[in-house]
Amino acid sequence: MNDLAWLTVAEAAELLRGRKLSPVEYAKALIARVERHDGKLNAFLRFTPELALEDARRAEAEITRGAWRGPLHGVPYGLKDIIDYTGLPTTAHSKILKDNVATADAVVAQKLKAAGGVFMGKLSTHEFATGGPSFDLPWPPARNPWNRDHFCGGSSSGAGAATAAGFLPAAIGTDTGGSVRNPASMCGIAGMKATYGLVSRRGVIPLAYSLDHVGPLTRTVRDNALMLDLIAGHDPLDPGSVAHAAGGYTAELGRGVKGLRIGVIRHFYTRDMEADPEVAAGIETAVAKLAELGAEVREIQTAPLGEYLACNRIILTSEAFALHEKWMRERPQDYGALARERIMAGAFVRAADYINATRLRRKMADAFHALFSGIDVAVTASSMDPPCRIDDPKAIGYTYGRQARAVFNITGGPALSVPVGFTKAGLPLGIQIVGKPYGEAMVYRVAHAYERATAWSERHPALA
Amino acid sequence: MSDDALTLDDIRRMAAEIGMIRLTDAHLQELLRATRTARARRAALPFANLVPADEPAHVFRLEEGK
Repeated sequence: MNDLAWLTVAEAAELLRGRKLSPVEYAKALIARVERHDGKLNAFLRFTPELALEDARRAEAEITRGAWRGPLHGVPYGLKDIIDYTGLPTTAHSKILKDNVATADAVVAQKLKAAGGVFMGKLSTHEFATGGPSFDLPWPPARNPWNRDHFCGGSSSGAGAATAAGFLPAAIGTDTGGSVRNPASMCGIAGMKATYGLVSRRGVIPLAYSLDHVGPLTRTVRDNALMLDLIAGHDPLDPGSVAHAAGGYTAELGRGVKGLRIGVIRHFYTRDMEADPEVAAGIETAVAKLAELGAEVREIQTAPLGEYLACNRIILTSEAFALHEKWMRERPQDYGALARERIMAGAFVRAADYINATRLRRKMADAFHALFSGIDVAVTASSMDPPCRIDDPKAIGYTYGRQARAVFNITGGPALSVPVGFTKAGLPLGIQIVGKPYGEAMVYRVAHAYERATAWSERHPALA
Repeated sequence: MSDDALTLDDIRRMAAEIGMIRLTDAHLQELLRATRTARARRAALPFANLVPADEPAHVFRLEEGK
Protein backbone atom coordinates (compact mmCIF):
# COMPACT_ATOMS: atom_id res chain seq x y z
CA MET A 1 0.00 0.00 0.00
CA ASN A 2 2.87 2.36 0.71
CA ASP A 3 4.04 2.08 -2.88
CA LEU A 4 0.62 3.13 -4.11
CA ALA A 5 0.52 6.02 -1.64
CA TRP A 6 3.70 7.47 -3.11
CA LEU A 7 2.96 6.93 -6.79
CA THR A 8 3.20 10.14 -8.75
CA VAL A 9 0.52 11.06 -11.27
CA ALA A 10 2.96 10.26 -14.08
CA GLU A 11 3.88 6.86 -12.61
CA ALA A 12 0.27 5.96 -11.90
CA ALA A 13 -0.78 6.99 -15.42
CA GLU A 14 1.81 4.65 -16.89
CA LEU A 15 0.63 1.72 -14.78
CA LEU A 16 -3.06 2.44 -15.28
CA ARG A 17 -2.78 2.89 -19.02
CA GLY A 18 -0.82 -0.37 -19.29
CA ARG A 19 -3.46 -2.11 -17.10
CA LYS A 20 -0.77 -3.04 -14.59
CA LEU A 21 -2.76 -1.22 -11.92
CA SER A 22 -6.50 -1.20 -11.42
CA PRO A 23 -8.04 2.23 -10.72
CA VAL A 24 -10.35 0.53 -8.20
CA GLU A 25 -7.50 -1.12 -6.31
CA TYR A 26 -5.54 2.16 -6.39
CA ALA A 27 -8.52 4.12 -5.04
CA LYS A 28 -9.19 1.51 -2.37
CA ALA A 29 -5.59 1.68 -1.18
CA LEU A 30 -5.70 5.46 -0.83
CA ILE A 31 -9.15 5.37 0.78
CA ALA A 32 -7.81 2.95 3.38
CA ARG A 33 -4.85 5.24 4.00
CA VAL A 34 -7.10 8.27 4.50
CA GLU A 35 -9.38 6.28 6.84
CA ARG A 36 -6.38 5.16 8.85
CA HIS A 37 -4.56 8.48 9.19
CA ASP A 38 -6.74 11.50 8.47
CA GLY A 39 -8.33 11.50 11.90
CA LYS A 40 -5.04 12.99 13.08
CA LEU A 41 -4.40 15.30 10.14
CA ASN A 42 -7.85 16.70 9.19
CA ALA A 43 -6.80 17.18 5.58
CA PHE A 44 -10.30 16.29 4.37
CA LEU A 45 -13.24 18.41 5.34
CA ARG A 46 -15.56 16.05 3.43
CA PHE A 47 -14.15 12.68 2.45
CA THR A 48 -16.16 10.99 -0.35
CA PRO A 49 -14.95 7.39 -0.78
CA GLU A 50 -18.23 6.36 -2.44
CA LEU A 51 -17.71 8.95 -5.21
CA ALA A 52 -14.08 7.89 -5.54
CA LEU A 53 -15.06 4.27 -6.06
CA GLU A 54 -17.73 5.27 -8.58
CA ASP A 55 -15.15 7.29 -10.56
CA ALA A 56 -12.60 4.47 -10.25
CA ARG A 57 -15.03 1.83 -11.55
CA ARG A 58 -15.90 4.05 -14.50
CA ALA A 59 -12.21 4.63 -15.24
CA GLU A 60 -11.51 0.92 -15.02
CA ALA A 61 -14.27 0.11 -17.50
CA GLU A 62 -13.09 2.81 -19.91
CA ILE A 63 -9.42 1.90 -19.74
CA THR A 64 -10.26 -1.79 -20.15
CA ARG A 65 -12.05 -1.04 -23.41
CA GLY A 66 -9.10 1.05 -24.59
CA ALA A 67 -10.62 4.50 -24.01
CA TRP A 68 -7.75 6.04 -22.00
CA ARG A 69 -8.42 9.74 -21.45
CA GLY A 70 -4.97 10.92 -20.37
CA PRO A 71 -2.64 11.14 -17.39
CA LEU A 72 -5.32 11.73 -14.73
CA HIS A 73 -7.56 8.88 -15.87
CA GLY A 74 -8.10 6.69 -12.80
CA VAL A 75 -5.89 8.89 -10.60
CA PRO A 76 -7.21 10.27 -7.27
CA TYR A 77 -7.36 14.01 -6.62
CA GLY A 78 -9.04 16.42 -4.20
CA LEU A 79 -10.40 19.97 -4.26
CA LYS A 80 -10.03 22.74 -1.71
CA ASP A 81 -13.44 23.35 -0.20
CA ILE A 82 -14.00 26.69 -1.88
CA ILE A 83 -14.27 24.95 -5.27
CA ASP A 84 -17.73 23.79 -6.39
CA TYR A 85 -18.41 20.12 -7.01
CA THR A 86 -22.01 19.39 -7.98
CA GLY A 87 -24.13 17.97 -5.18
CA LEU A 88 -21.65 18.65 -2.38
CA PRO A 89 -21.58 21.63 -0.03
CA THR A 90 -18.90 24.24 -0.72
CA THR A 91 -18.42 25.45 2.82
CA ALA A 92 -15.25 27.58 2.62
CA HIS A 93 -14.63 25.93 6.01
CA SER A 94 -17.17 28.36 7.47
CA LYS A 95 -20.39 28.14 9.45
CA ILE A 96 -21.68 30.85 7.11
CA LEU A 97 -21.77 28.43 4.14
CA LYS A 98 -22.13 25.06 5.84
CA ASP A 99 -25.30 24.26 3.83
CA ASN A 100 -24.17 25.82 0.55
CA VAL A 101 -24.67 22.88 -1.83
CA ALA A 102 -23.13 23.40 -5.28
CA THR A 103 -25.54 23.07 -8.19
CA ALA A 104 -22.80 23.05 -10.83
CA ASP A 105 -19.14 22.14 -11.07
CA ALA A 106 -16.43 24.77 -11.00
CA VAL A 107 -14.59 24.87 -14.32
CA VAL A 108 -11.56 23.16 -12.76
CA ALA A 109 -13.81 20.39 -11.41
CA GLN A 110 -15.39 19.98 -14.87
CA LYS A 111 -11.94 19.66 -16.42
CA LEU A 112 -10.70 17.10 -13.90
CA LYS A 113 -13.90 15.07 -14.28
CA ALA A 114 -13.48 15.15 -18.05
CA ALA A 115 -9.89 13.97 -17.60
CA GLY A 116 -11.19 10.89 -15.79
CA GLY A 117 -9.85 11.77 -12.34
CA VAL A 118 -11.02 9.95 -9.22
CA PHE A 119 -12.52 12.50 -6.85
CA MET A 120 -11.62 11.79 -3.22
CA GLY A 121 -13.30 14.72 -1.51
CA LYS A 122 -13.21 18.32 -0.36
CA LEU A 123 -10.11 19.50 1.45
CA SER A 124 -9.74 21.74 4.48
CA THR A 125 -8.99 25.40 3.99
CA HIS A 126 -8.66 28.48 6.13
CA GLU A 127 -12.06 30.08 6.55
CA PHE A 128 -12.91 31.82 3.26
CA ALA A 129 -9.31 31.16 2.21
CA THR A 130 -7.99 33.65 4.75
CA GLY A 131 -8.84 32.91 8.39
CA GLY A 132 -6.66 30.18 9.82
CA PRO A 133 -5.43 28.02 11.27
CA SER A 134 -8.51 28.31 13.49
CA PHE A 135 -9.96 26.16 16.23
CA ASP A 136 -13.26 28.06 16.47
CA LEU A 137 -14.80 26.76 13.24
CA PRO A 138 -17.18 23.84 12.60
CA TRP A 139 -14.24 21.72 11.36
CA PRO A 140 -10.71 21.48 12.77
CA PRO A 141 -7.68 22.85 10.90
CA ALA A 142 -5.46 20.55 8.85
CA ARG A 143 -2.13 19.62 10.41
CA ASN A 144 1.36 19.10 9.02
CA PRO A 145 2.06 15.46 8.06
CA TRP A 146 5.75 15.92 8.92
CA ASN A 147 4.82 16.78 12.49
CA ARG A 148 1.15 17.08 13.37
CA ASP A 149 1.87 19.59 16.12
CA HIS A 150 2.95 22.03 13.43
CA PHE A 151 1.17 24.30 10.97
CA CYS A 152 0.83 22.93 7.45
CA GLY A 153 0.45 26.35 5.84
CA GLY A 154 -2.63 27.69 4.19
CA SER A 155 -5.04 28.56 3.09
CA SER A 156 -4.98 25.46 0.85
CA SER A 157 -4.01 23.58 4.00
CA GLY A 158 -5.84 20.30 3.34
CA ALA A 159 -4.54 20.21 -0.22
CA GLY A 160 -0.97 20.50 1.05
CA ALA A 161 -1.40 18.04 3.91
CA ALA A 162 -3.26 15.42 1.85
CA THR A 163 -0.74 15.49 -0.98
CA ALA A 164 2.28 15.31 1.33
CA ALA A 165 0.65 12.53 3.39
CA GLY A 166 0.17 10.28 0.37
CA PHE A 167 -3.63 10.50 0.51
CA LEU A 168 -3.66 11.55 -3.14
CA PRO A 169 -0.97 12.53 -5.66
CA ALA A 170 -2.54 15.86 -6.66
CA ALA A 171 -4.89 18.46 -5.28
CA ILE A 172 -6.24 21.81 -6.40
CA GLY A 173 -5.94 24.89 -4.21
CA THR A 174 -6.27 28.63 -4.60
CA ASP A 175 -3.81 31.46 -4.08
CA THR A 176 -4.61 35.15 -3.39
CA GLY A 177 -1.62 36.07 -1.22
CA GLY A 178 0.32 32.80 -1.38
CA SER A 179 -2.22 30.15 -0.39
CA VAL A 180 -1.07 27.40 -2.76
CA ARG A 181 2.64 28.05 -2.23
CA ASN A 182 2.48 28.35 1.55
CA PRO A 183 1.23 24.79 2.17
CA ALA A 184 3.55 23.58 -0.59
CA SER A 185 6.52 25.09 1.28
CA MET A 186 5.41 23.87 4.68
CA CYS A 187 4.54 20.35 3.54
CA GLY A 188 7.57 19.80 1.28
CA ILE A 189 5.74 19.57 -2.06
CA ALA A 190 5.33 21.60 -5.27
CA GLY A 191 2.65 24.29 -5.55
CA MET A 192 2.06 26.53 -8.57
CA LYS A 193 0.37 29.89 -8.88
CA ALA A 194 0.27 30.26 -12.63
CA THR A 195 -0.15 33.52 -14.53
CA TYR A 196 -3.27 35.44 -13.51
CA GLY A 197 -6.17 34.44 -15.73
CA LEU A 198 -4.62 31.23 -17.05
CA VAL A 199 -6.87 29.00 -14.92
CA SER A 200 -10.58 29.77 -14.69
CA ARG A 201 -11.89 30.89 -11.30
CA ARG A 202 -15.53 30.28 -12.22
CA GLY A 203 -17.24 28.23 -9.54
CA VAL A 204 -14.63 29.12 -6.92
CA ILE A 205 -15.66 31.26 -3.94
CA PRO A 206 -13.72 34.50 -4.40
CA LEU A 207 -11.50 36.06 -1.79
CA ALA A 208 -10.24 38.99 -3.88
CA TYR A 209 -11.24 39.09 -7.55
CA SER A 210 -8.12 40.72 -8.93
CA LEU A 211 -5.67 38.55 -6.99
CA ASP A 212 -7.31 35.09 -6.94
CA HIS A 213 -5.60 32.21 -8.74
CA VAL A 214 -6.40 28.48 -8.89
CA GLY A 215 -3.42 26.14 -8.89
CA PRO A 216 -2.16 22.56 -8.43
CA LEU A 217 -0.26 20.99 -5.52
CA THR A 218 1.67 17.80 -6.24
CA ARG A 219 4.68 15.89 -4.92
CA THR A 220 6.74 16.35 -8.09
CA VAL A 221 7.33 19.10 -10.60
CA ARG A 222 6.34 16.90 -13.55
CA ASP A 223 3.00 16.12 -11.91
CA ASN A 224 2.44 19.80 -11.30
CA ALA A 225 3.02 20.59 -14.97
CA LEU A 226 0.68 17.74 -15.97
CA MET A 227 -2.05 19.07 -13.69
CA LEU A 228 -1.66 22.62 -14.99
CA ASP A 229 -1.96 21.24 -18.52
CA LEU A 230 -5.33 19.83 -17.51
CA ILE A 231 -6.80 22.86 -15.75
CA ALA A 232 -5.43 25.82 -17.76
CA GLY A 233 -7.36 27.37 -20.61
CA HIS A 234 -9.55 30.28 -21.60
CA ASP A 235 -12.99 30.56 -20.04
CA PRO A 236 -15.07 33.30 -21.70
CA LEU A 237 -17.42 33.34 -18.70
CA ASP A 238 -14.63 34.24 -16.24
CA PRO A 239 -13.98 37.98 -16.71
CA GLY A 240 -10.38 37.54 -15.53
CA SER A 241 -9.62 34.67 -17.88
CA VAL A 242 -7.10 35.30 -20.64
CA ALA A 243 -7.42 34.15 -24.23
CA HIS A 244 -3.81 32.96 -24.25
CA ALA A 245 -2.61 29.63 -25.58
CA ALA A 246 -2.42 27.19 -22.68
CA GLY A 247 -0.70 23.83 -22.28
CA GLY A 248 2.66 22.33 -23.12
CA TYR A 249 3.92 22.80 -19.58
CA THR A 250 5.95 19.57 -19.62
CA ALA A 251 7.61 20.50 -22.90
CA GLU A 252 10.79 21.91 -21.38
CA LEU A 253 11.28 19.29 -18.66
CA GLY A 254 14.61 17.53 -18.91
CA ARG A 255 16.39 20.34 -20.74
CA GLY A 256 18.36 21.36 -17.67
CA VAL A 257 19.49 24.81 -16.62
CA LYS A 258 22.85 25.07 -18.36
CA GLY A 259 23.22 28.61 -19.64
CA LEU A 260 19.96 29.85 -18.17
CA ARG A 261 20.10 33.20 -16.38
CA ILE A 262 18.74 33.08 -12.85
CA GLY A 263 18.18 36.24 -10.80
CA VAL A 264 18.21 35.90 -7.04
CA ILE A 265 16.00 38.38 -5.16
CA ARG A 266 18.14 38.20 -2.04
CA HIS A 267 17.10 41.48 -0.46
CA PHE A 268 13.63 40.07 0.24
CA TYR A 269 14.99 37.58 2.79
CA THR A 270 18.15 39.31 3.99
CA ARG A 271 17.50 43.06 4.10
CA ASP A 272 13.74 43.66 3.80
CA MET A 273 12.91 40.79 6.14
CA GLU A 274 15.48 38.59 7.82
CA ALA A 275 14.69 34.94 7.21
CA ASP A 276 15.26 32.27 9.80
CA PRO A 277 18.88 31.03 9.39
CA GLU A 278 17.79 27.53 8.35
CA VAL A 279 15.44 28.98 5.72
CA ALA A 280 18.13 31.31 4.37
CA ALA A 281 20.67 28.47 4.29
CA GLY A 282 18.20 26.28 2.40
CA ILE A 283 17.71 28.96 -0.26
CA GLU A 284 21.43 29.64 -0.66
CA THR A 285 22.21 25.93 -0.94
CA ALA A 286 19.56 25.62 -3.66
CA VAL A 287 20.95 28.64 -5.51
CA ALA A 288 24.44 27.11 -5.33
CA LYS A 289 23.06 23.85 -6.72
CA LEU A 290 21.50 25.68 -9.69
CA ALA A 291 24.86 27.34 -10.36
CA GLU A 292 26.58 23.96 -10.11
CA LEU A 293 24.12 22.64 -12.71
CA GLY A 294 25.30 25.34 -15.12
CA ALA A 295 22.95 28.26 -14.57
CA GLU A 296 24.33 31.79 -14.60
CA VAL A 297 23.25 33.14 -11.23
CA ARG A 298 23.24 36.81 -10.32
CA GLU A 299 21.54 38.98 -7.76
CA ILE A 300 18.68 41.25 -8.85
CA GLN A 301 16.83 44.08 -7.12
CA THR A 302 13.18 44.99 -7.12
CA ALA A 303 10.92 47.11 -4.90
CA PRO A 304 11.09 46.46 -1.15
CA LEU A 305 9.17 43.41 0.00
CA GLY A 306 7.10 45.49 2.43
CA GLU A 307 5.66 47.57 -0.41
CA TYR A 308 4.51 44.50 -2.31
CA LEU A 309 2.97 42.96 0.81
CA ALA A 310 1.18 46.15 1.86
CA CYS A 311 -0.13 46.67 -1.68
CA ASN A 312 -1.42 43.08 -1.75
CA ARG A 313 -3.18 43.44 1.59
CA ILE A 314 -4.82 46.77 0.79
CA ILE A 315 -6.28 45.33 -2.42
CA LEU A 316 -7.09 41.92 -0.90
CA THR A 317 -8.87 43.20 2.18
CA SER A 318 -10.81 45.86 0.26
CA GLU A 319 -12.11 43.37 -2.28
CA ALA A 320 -12.76 40.74 0.40
CA PHE A 321 -14.69 43.16 2.60
CA ALA A 322 -16.84 44.20 -0.35
CA LEU A 323 -17.81 40.53 -0.69
CA HIS A 324 -18.36 39.96 3.01
CA GLU A 325 -19.93 43.23 4.12
CA LYS A 326 -23.49 41.88 4.15
CA TRP A 327 -22.55 38.86 6.30
CA MET A 328 -20.38 41.04 8.52
CA ARG A 329 -23.45 43.17 9.20
CA GLU A 330 -25.87 40.29 9.71
CA ARG A 331 -23.84 37.35 11.02
CA PRO A 332 -20.51 38.54 12.43
CA GLN A 333 -20.67 35.91 15.17
CA ASP A 334 -20.70 33.13 12.57
CA TYR A 335 -17.12 33.84 11.47
CA GLY A 336 -14.08 32.55 13.27
CA ALA A 337 -12.06 35.30 14.95
CA LEU A 338 -9.14 35.15 12.49
CA ALA A 339 -11.25 35.44 9.34
CA ARG A 340 -13.37 38.20 10.88
CA GLU A 341 -10.35 40.28 11.85
CA ARG A 342 -8.47 39.74 8.58
CA ILE A 343 -11.48 40.55 6.39
CA MET A 344 -12.57 43.53 8.52
CA ALA A 345 -9.20 45.14 7.75
CA GLY A 346 -10.87 46.25 4.52
CA ALA A 347 -13.84 47.92 6.21
CA PHE A 348 -12.38 51.43 6.36
CA VAL A 349 -9.87 51.48 3.53
CA ARG A 350 -10.67 54.65 1.60
CA ALA A 351 -11.69 54.25 -2.04
CA ALA A 352 -8.77 56.47 -3.06
CA ASP A 353 -6.31 54.24 -1.21
CA TYR A 354 -7.69 51.13 -2.89
CA ILE A 355 -7.46 52.75 -6.33
CA ASN A 356 -3.96 54.02 -5.62
CA ALA A 357 -2.91 50.53 -4.55
CA THR A 358 -4.11 49.19 -7.90
CA ARG A 359 -2.23 51.99 -9.70
CA LEU A 360 0.88 51.11 -7.75
CA ARG A 361 0.30 47.45 -8.56
CA ARG A 362 0.52 48.13 -12.30
CA LYS A 363 3.74 50.10 -11.86
CA MET A 364 5.32 47.42 -9.69
CA ALA A 365 4.29 44.63 -12.05
CA ASP A 366 5.64 46.46 -15.11
CA ALA A 367 8.94 47.19 -13.37
CA PHE A 368 9.26 43.62 -12.14
CA HIS A 369 8.55 42.07 -15.52
CA ALA A 370 11.11 44.37 -17.17
CA LEU A 371 13.76 42.49 -15.19
CA PHE A 372 13.10 39.46 -17.38
CA SER A 373 14.94 41.06 -20.29
CA GLY A 374 18.09 40.01 -18.43
CA ILE A 375 17.00 36.77 -16.73
CA ASP A 376 15.05 33.61 -17.52
CA VAL A 377 13.67 33.07 -14.02
CA ALA A 378 13.99 34.64 -10.59
CA VAL A 379 14.29 32.79 -7.30
CA THR A 380 13.56 33.95 -3.78
CA ALA A 381 12.19 32.88 -0.44
CA SER A 382 8.70 31.51 0.04
CA SER A 383 8.22 31.51 3.85
CA MET A 384 10.72 33.31 6.05
CA ASP A 385 10.27 30.77 8.82
CA PRO A 386 9.89 27.00 9.13
CA PRO A 387 6.41 25.73 10.06
CA CYS A 388 5.60 26.86 13.62
CA ARG A 389 3.46 25.02 16.14
CA ILE A 390 -0.22 25.07 15.19
CA ASP A 391 -1.30 25.66 18.79
CA ASP A 392 0.86 28.77 19.25
CA PRO A 393 -1.22 31.78 18.15
CA LYS A 394 1.66 34.14 18.86
CA ALA A 395 3.97 32.24 16.51
CA ILE A 396 1.21 31.96 13.91
CA GLY A 397 0.64 35.72 14.15
CA TYR A 398 4.38 36.45 13.87
CA THR A 399 5.06 34.16 10.91
CA TYR A 400 1.79 34.73 8.98
CA GLY A 401 2.97 37.86 7.17
CA ARG A 402 6.65 36.88 6.96
CA GLN A 403 6.58 35.64 3.39
CA ALA A 404 7.49 36.67 -0.16
CA ARG A 405 4.61 35.01 -1.98
CA ALA A 406 2.05 37.82 -2.12
CA VAL A 407 4.56 39.71 -4.29
CA PHE A 408 3.64 37.52 -7.24
CA ASN A 409 -0.10 37.88 -6.75
CA ILE A 410 0.64 41.57 -7.27
CA THR A 411 2.86 41.05 -10.33
CA GLY A 412 0.59 38.28 -11.66
CA GLY A 413 3.25 36.07 -13.27
CA PRO A 414 3.91 32.42 -12.44
CA ALA A 415 5.51 31.42 -9.12
CA LEU A 416 6.19 27.86 -8.05
CA SER A 417 7.21 26.72 -4.58
CA VAL A 418 9.40 23.63 -4.45
CA PRO A 419 11.08 21.91 -1.51
CA VAL A 420 14.74 22.63 -0.77
CA GLY A 421 15.33 20.46 2.27
CA PHE A 422 14.44 20.18 5.92
CA THR A 423 15.24 21.86 9.19
CA LYS A 424 17.23 20.02 11.85
CA ALA A 425 13.86 19.23 13.41
CA GLY A 426 12.72 17.55 10.20
CA LEU A 427 10.32 20.22 8.93
CA PRO A 428 10.22 21.15 5.22
CA LEU A 429 11.78 24.23 3.65
CA GLY A 430 10.82 25.79 0.33
CA ILE A 431 11.95 28.22 -2.34
CA GLN A 432 10.03 30.08 -5.06
CA ILE A 433 10.93 29.96 -8.73
CA VAL A 434 9.32 32.85 -10.58
CA GLY A 435 8.77 33.37 -14.29
CA LYS A 436 7.68 36.05 -16.69
CA PRO A 437 3.96 36.11 -17.57
CA TYR A 438 3.03 32.86 -19.34
CA GLY A 439 6.52 31.54 -18.65
CA GLU A 440 5.28 28.47 -16.74
CA ALA A 441 7.19 25.99 -18.93
CA MET A 442 10.49 27.71 -18.10
CA VAL A 443 9.67 27.77 -14.38
CA TYR A 444 8.92 24.04 -14.48
CA ARG A 445 12.14 23.41 -16.44
CA VAL A 446 14.29 25.02 -13.77
CA ALA A 447 12.37 23.40 -10.90
CA HIS A 448 12.59 19.98 -12.54
CA ALA A 449 16.34 20.28 -13.05
CA TYR A 450 16.76 21.18 -9.39
CA GLU A 451 14.42 18.40 -8.26
CA ARG A 452 16.35 15.80 -10.27
CA ALA A 453 19.63 16.97 -8.79
CA THR A 454 18.34 16.58 -5.25
CA ALA A 455 16.21 13.94 -3.58
CA TRP A 456 13.79 16.06 -1.61
CA SER A 457 10.70 14.90 -3.50
CA GLU A 458 11.54 11.29 -2.64
CA ARG A 459 11.30 11.88 1.11
CA HIS A 460 7.92 11.26 2.68
CA PRO A 461 6.51 11.76 6.16
CA ALA A 462 5.97 8.76 8.43
CA LEU A 463 2.39 8.91 9.63
CA ALA A 464 2.45 6.19 12.26
CA MET B 1 -7.44 60.45 12.26
CA SER B 2 -4.09 58.98 13.32
CA ASP B 3 -3.87 55.35 14.46
CA ASP B 4 -3.00 56.38 18.01
CA ALA B 5 -6.09 58.55 18.24
CA LEU B 6 -8.45 55.84 17.05
CA THR B 7 -10.42 54.50 20.00
CA LEU B 8 -12.91 51.72 20.56
CA ASP B 9 -15.70 54.29 20.69
CA ASP B 10 -14.58 55.72 17.35
CA ILE B 11 -14.62 52.26 15.86
CA ARG B 12 -18.04 51.51 17.31
CA ARG B 13 -19.40 54.70 15.72
CA MET B 14 -17.66 54.04 12.38
CA ALA B 15 -18.98 50.47 12.34
CA ALA B 16 -22.51 51.66 13.07
CA GLU B 17 -22.30 54.17 10.21
CA ILE B 18 -21.81 51.30 7.75
CA GLY B 19 -24.49 49.13 9.34
CA MET B 20 -22.25 46.87 11.41
CA ILE B 21 -24.33 47.10 14.54
CA ARG B 22 -24.14 43.49 15.67
CA LEU B 23 -20.45 43.51 16.59
CA THR B 24 -19.70 42.56 20.17
CA ASP B 25 -16.99 44.34 22.15
CA ALA B 26 -14.61 41.53 21.23
CA HIS B 27 -15.46 41.98 17.54
CA LEU B 28 -14.93 45.74 17.87
CA GLN B 29 -11.49 45.12 19.36
CA GLU B 30 -10.72 42.98 16.32
CA LEU B 31 -11.97 45.75 14.03
CA LEU B 32 -9.85 48.31 15.86
CA ARG B 33 -6.69 46.19 15.45
CA ALA B 34 -7.57 45.47 11.82
CA THR B 35 -8.15 49.13 11.02
CA ARG B 36 -4.88 50.17 12.63
CA THR B 37 -3.09 47.47 10.62
CA ALA B 38 -4.73 48.63 7.38
CA ARG B 39 -3.70 52.23 8.05
CA ALA B 40 -0.11 51.16 8.74
CA ARG B 41 -0.09 49.26 5.44
CA ARG B 42 -1.41 52.27 3.58
CA ALA B 43 1.26 54.48 5.18
CA ALA B 44 3.95 52.09 3.91
CA LEU B 45 2.99 52.62 0.27
CA PRO B 46 4.65 55.27 -1.95
CA PHE B 47 1.44 56.75 -3.36
CA ALA B 48 3.13 60.16 -3.55
CA ASN B 49 5.27 58.84 -6.42
CA LEU B 50 2.26 58.07 -8.60
CA VAL B 51 1.67 60.38 -11.57
CA PRO B 52 -1.66 60.99 -13.35
CA ALA B 53 -0.75 58.60 -16.17
CA ASP B 54 -0.41 55.68 -13.73
CA GLU B 55 -3.68 53.84 -14.36
CA PRO B 56 -5.21 51.21 -12.09
CA ALA B 57 -4.11 47.63 -12.75
CA HIS B 58 -7.59 46.61 -13.78
CA VAL B 59 -9.41 49.04 -16.00
CA PHE B 60 -12.76 48.49 -17.64
CA ARG B 61 -12.55 47.31 -21.21
CA LEU B 62 -15.01 45.96 -23.73
CA GLU B 63 -14.31 43.15 -26.11
CA GLU B 64 -15.38 43.43 -29.71
CA GLY B 65 -18.85 42.08 -30.32
CA LYS B 66 -20.16 42.72 -26.82
